Amino acid sequence: MKDISFSTIEDISKDVRNKEYSAEDVVTFYKQRFAKHDDTIKSALEVFDTQSILDSARNQGPLFGIPGLIKDNICQTNRITSCASKMLENYRAPYDATVIERLKEAGALCIGRANMDEFAMGSSTETSAYFKTSNPWDIDRVPGGSSGGSAAAVAAGFVPWALGSDTGGSVRQPAGFCGIVGLKPTYGAISRYGVVAYASSLDQVGIFSRTVYDNALVFSVIAGHDPKDASTLMLEKKDYTKNLTGVLPEGLRIGIVKTAFEAEGLDDEVASLTKEAVKTLEKSGAVVKEILLPTLEYAAATYFIISRAEAASNLARFDGVRYGFRAKDIQKLEDLYVKSRSEGFGKEVQIRMMVGNYVLSAGYAGKFYHNAKKVQQLICQDFSKAFSEVDILIMPTQSCPAFKFGAFDRNKLQMDLQDYYTAPVNLAGICAMSIPCGFTKDNMPVGLQLIGPKLSEELLFKVGHAYQQITDWHKKHPKIG
Amino acid sequence: MTKISKDEIKKLATMTKLYIAEDELDEVGQRLEDVLDYAQRVQLIAKDIQIPSQKNVNHDRSDIVMQGSVKDILDQAPAQEDNYFVVPQIIDEQ
Repeated sequence: MKDISFSTIEDISKDVRNKEYSAEDVVTFYKQRFAKHDDTIKSALEVFDTQSILDSARNQGPLFGIPGLIKDNICQTNRITSCASKMLENYRAPYDATVIERLKEAGALCIGRANMDEFAMGSSTETSAYFKTSNPWDIDRVPGGSSGGSAAAVAAGFVPWALGSDTGGSVRQPAGFCGIVGLKPTYGAISRYGVVAYASSLDQVGIFSRTVYDNALVFSVIAGHDPKDASTLMLEKKDYTKNLTGVLPEGLRIGIVKTAFEAEGLDDEVASLTKEAVKTLEKSGAVVKEILLPTLEYAAATYFIISRAEAASNLARFDGVRYGFRAKDIQKLEDLYVKSRSEGFGKEVQIRMMVGNYVLSAGYAGKFYHNAKKVQQLICQDFSKAFSEVDILIMPTQSCPAFKFGAFDRNKLQMDLQDYYTAPVNLAGICAMSIPCGFTKDNMPVGLQLIGPKLSEELLFKVGHAYQQITDWHKKHPKIG
Repeated sequence: MTKISKDEIKKLATMTKLYIAEDELDEVGQRLEDVLDYAQRVQLIAKDIQIPSQKNVNHDRSDIVMQGSVKDILDQAPAQEDNYFVVPQIIDEQ
């Protein structure tokens, strides 16, 4: 069988339809990739047995025979859903998340569970209770996070697509770090039924792929209203690949976010590669203008407060009674709660919940939580004003290239600030996509962040796809092993 | 500077149903202070804004009865007996 390590969904689909090889051959091929290389990368918490993977595809739909890796906070029937936490080490999902249901209906093959930061809290996948995942471009560096396992697997050619979740940048930042495409859809575009909650007003399921076209293919399958998730929007089902002509929309107006490039701590190479990409788009006919987002420097602070507050509330459900970890030798109910939670949750999760309870507590809610909700409105207003002048915005996805393991062990606040360029998008509920736009001198990939108003995914796909027709950053792959 | 005392950390841990060991208090306190120090910048621009009331759209749907297995749910429990979750004693003996 031919080497399909870095083939697109489009290509594999065509081959399977033409019977050049079967769905089983595809699974066998990628499982061999995992077996050979994932000891080094450690992207997957589990790769399932071949027969159960093949049995999960219900139809010969648009993703028939195409394997993908699923972030381990998304429920798959009868599979463990651990959130990379000791707390849910033995939790078996009794049902499929709506996204999994739709993928199976479309014939997709869910091949395994991806490593992640514990309960999606982190920017490096180092907080996983199980192991650290390596960046396929340099195994001494992190893949980003929290969806680091999903991103690393796609970048390493173990699967053509993967699912992640993005609360403050957890799909876009690892996509940038690993040199692939990562979409954070509009809040409400994709159902979260069966997705373990972190911060419910911000969480969205996101998609990793190597090409923008493939991303649009997967989005077409999973997007849309779900009666089981009241926060989903009334979206019509449609094929988002249909209008991908490979040419930029006529008269496209791009806003380059000047404020983003003036921010403290932005890496020089990241800045220059991002600006270079904007020039490329300008040469292809886009009209570029500078845009100010004055609230940008308040967005990370706002995100810290709102996300931690919601996490404290969401994770209160883990009490050692109905499911999840229970500590041993317990005499009293209160001890059951405290010991189970203290032993079951890692430090990062514990600290985020404590920050959440602090900013919500009677004495401090006014100073922190209520003010953060007000600033969130200002951030939304900034974006609305920008989108009255331009069609899409561009800024960096990441403040720096992928960093070495342990780089922020002594300064966790700097790790938290990895969300600087991505969190404002979640706070405004709009959509954004990171696409590869070049490499640093150390040969580490850099992502370009395209941001659009609510439900402008189709426009982001059009622009991203056109960009990938005139650049070949997405065709460069890491050498593994 | 936000300063959080050891007593406050312990109170916060109790509220969060967590136990923080005595030798971890300094490190945890530092983490909390760092993030709160940074986060308090929201006060600088938030002062005079009214939060508009959220007009969320409620999507009604009919209540659909679905077949589910109690066993599947109870099988996830750390301890179960006769279709019940088992928890430690709640009321102290006199």
